[in-house]
Amino acid sequence: MGNDYTPIPVEIAKITTEVDTKDIKTFRFAFVNKADEEKFQYRPGQFGELSIFGKGESPIGIASSPTQKGFVEFTVQKAGVVTSALHAMEEGMRMGIRGPLGNSWPIEELQGKNVVIVGGGFAFTTLRSLINYVIDDANRKNFGKVTVVYGARNPGLLLYKDELKTWAERGDINLNVTVDKGDASWKGREGFVPTVCKEVAPSPENAVALICGPPIMIRFTLPVFFDLKFSKENIITSLEARMKCGIGKCGRCNVGSKYICKDGPVFTFAELSKLSPEY
Amino acid sequence: MKKRLLKKSGIAELVAKLAKRAGVFAPVDNEGNTLFQKVIDANSIAKQYVNSKDAPKGFFFPHSETLMRYKRTDKGMELEDDQVAQTKRILFGVRPCDARSFELLDLLFNQEKYSDTYFVSKRENTTVIVNACVEPISKNCFCTSLGLSPTGSAGADILMLDLGEEIFVEFITPKGEALLDCFGDMEPSATIDVQAVRERAATLVDASVPCREIKTTLDNIYEHPLWESIAQKCLACGTCTYLCPTCHCFDISDEVKGDDGARIRNWDSCMFPLFTKETSGHNPRSTQKARWRQRTMHKFKYFVDNFNEVLCVGCGRCVAYCPVNIDIREVVKSVAKI
Ligand SMILES: Cc1cc2nc3c(=O)[nH]c(=O)nc-3n(C[C@H](O)[C@H](O)[C@H](O)COP(=O)(O)OP(=O)(O)OC[C@H]3O[C@@H](n4cnc5c(N)ncnc54)[C@H](O)[C@@H]3O)c2cc1C
Ligand code: SF4
Ligand code: SF4
Ligand code: FES
Repeated sequence: MGNDYTPIPVEIAKITTEVDTKDIKTFRFAFVNKADEEKFQYRPGQFGELSIFGKGESPIGIASSPTQKGFVEFTVQKAGVVTSALHAMEEGMRMGIRGPLGNSWPIEELQGKNVVIVGGGFAFTTLRSLINYVIDDANRKNFGKVTVVYGARNPGLLLYKDELKTWAERGDINLNVTVDKGDASWKGREGFVPTVCKEVAPSPENAVALICGPPIMIRFTLPVFFDLKFSKENIITSLEARMKCGIGKCGRCNVGSKYICKDGPVFTFAELSKLSPEY
Repeated sequence: MKKRLLKKSGIAELVAKLAKRAGVFAPVDNEGNTLFQKVIDANSIAKQYVNSKDAPKGFFFPHSETLMRYKRTDKGMELEDDQVAQTKRILFGVRPCDARSFELLDLLFNQEKYSDTYFVSKRENTTVIVNACVEPISKNCFCTSLGLSPTGSAGADILMLDLGEEIFVEFITPKGEALLDCFGDMEPSATIDVQAVRERAATLVDASVPCREIKTTLDNIYEHPLWESIAQKCLACGTCTYLCPTCHCFDISDEVKGDDGARIRNWDSCMFPLFTKETSGHNPRSTQKARWRQRTMHKFKYFVDNFNEVLCVGCGRCVAYCPVNIDIREVVKSVAKI
């Protein structure tokens, strides 16, 4: 019997500092054992418990896409004990990952649909995984129009800046990057995510909206999508909660009878409206 | 089902034989508390006890348990050992409610996807010998309110029933039968009326708590003044959850000494304010009201939603030991009145 508490050994292959404030970094991990890489079959929207012996574990969304082989990436904000320890680590050092954990973005149900992706702040990570999955050469034909609205407080806080450029150059994504407040060199859009969503006004026709961001962004973005006549079934988000086990045992991450770690983190708003509002 | 009759005077020999097979743990009087402890001879086993103060779930899900050890290398801390010790054990004198709690915990810990190897392997290596409740039965007991019986064999490998001079023994599972030879070879005669003993015992237990019936009410009272009124008295001490045979929440933490470290899991409690507090400071259950609601909902609604069972066995420990006398039976009854 396998031990679901034992982390898979990984080595830090690459560290990218994403933002001017330097407190968000993307960690690229390579599996120490080839066999683990084969076993680590994940889907966009899943997460892993990043495990540093001596410090603890933190649940972090997987930021890379399964279509990218040979590594797995996580984008982590420095927050407390584990994430600070992680930020202090260097390329070549070893640590662990438990996972992949949780459900995922509903990639089967999204097939043939227009996909509207809305992200704010650093909660964009698993949406980035989804975007890279959808625009992968082998997959792109399976999805309809792809509309992305992604916002950060200022240009320095945008994640994945190089990737945003390559996405912008593609003809097959309607990419709308916005910042609350630009700076001298910013030539792009200014405005809050909900406002930009209103302007972009994606059609609800055969469409699903996936929305991730800080609670305040979600609160103001949801009404925009309801006004656009998206149904609760077709608006999907990913929840967070304090976690430990990540596998539905330790009892702390439930919303009603569902565990965010095991039954989530991805839920439709139709599902959430039936659960206790405890998140 | 195989059955035996054991003379009370034969218990010493029985325990001695069992102890040769595996470590035997039984309720022992310890400075005013009855606690499960390792026994070598039958003399140390508590003669009269309602139930142990500590729930025997701790044999499978210890209060504190090392999950794995690791060591410092030049690339960081690396795993050294995550093996679960395979020690054979016999629990002797578990009460029926607590044996039933093992089955409920199995539902959670032993799932097809994500089975908890620490819990499951200890379960597999342990034989549960239940001592049915004939007498004394505490005024706090309400197992019959959950459809259980004080002489029930749920979760038992072997069931012992005290008939006065003799003990009636039933071998419920193959694991139990493997110990058949320790119990001698006297078969009970057909005239022994065990049923009457069982029925009498059941009448001594409070069956009036609508533990299973309140689910439909709970479905609709997430917002209700009741939660605040229960929580007002609560000290958030966690006693109720630590003593409860079915509570399973835990924390995982790391401890390092020099170049060696261990990842340890400890019981945690939904009654504690920090249980759900996130690094950002956000806490989805920031009040004791929300936490008491969680405790009630988890036992009588969420677990039913997920497993179709109530997560309480009516042992009465939380009733007996809450420092401010919050009584789960009263909570359930209050919900039923809504
Ligand atoms: C499904 C999911 C995906 C996430 N994805 C990301 C991501 O992509 N990038 C990112 O930077 N952060 C993400 N988070 C938040 C991240 O898990 C917390 O910021 C992190 O656990 C803080 O850990 P710490 O040890 O640094 O902080 P401490 O305050 O020292 O926390 C101690 C422990 O508490 C638990 N904990 C505390 N806060 C949280 C929380 N908000 N969520 C879950 N567990 C918590 C963890 O077990 C943590 O190790 C995600 C959370 C969840 C639940
Ligand atoms: S809730 Fe109370 S009565 Fe029910 S099993 Fe737990 S400790 Fe026993
Ligand atoms: S034992 Fe009583 S006071 Fe302590 S947490 Fe439980 S209900 Fe609250
Ligand atoms: S993190 Fe343990 S139950 Fe979800």
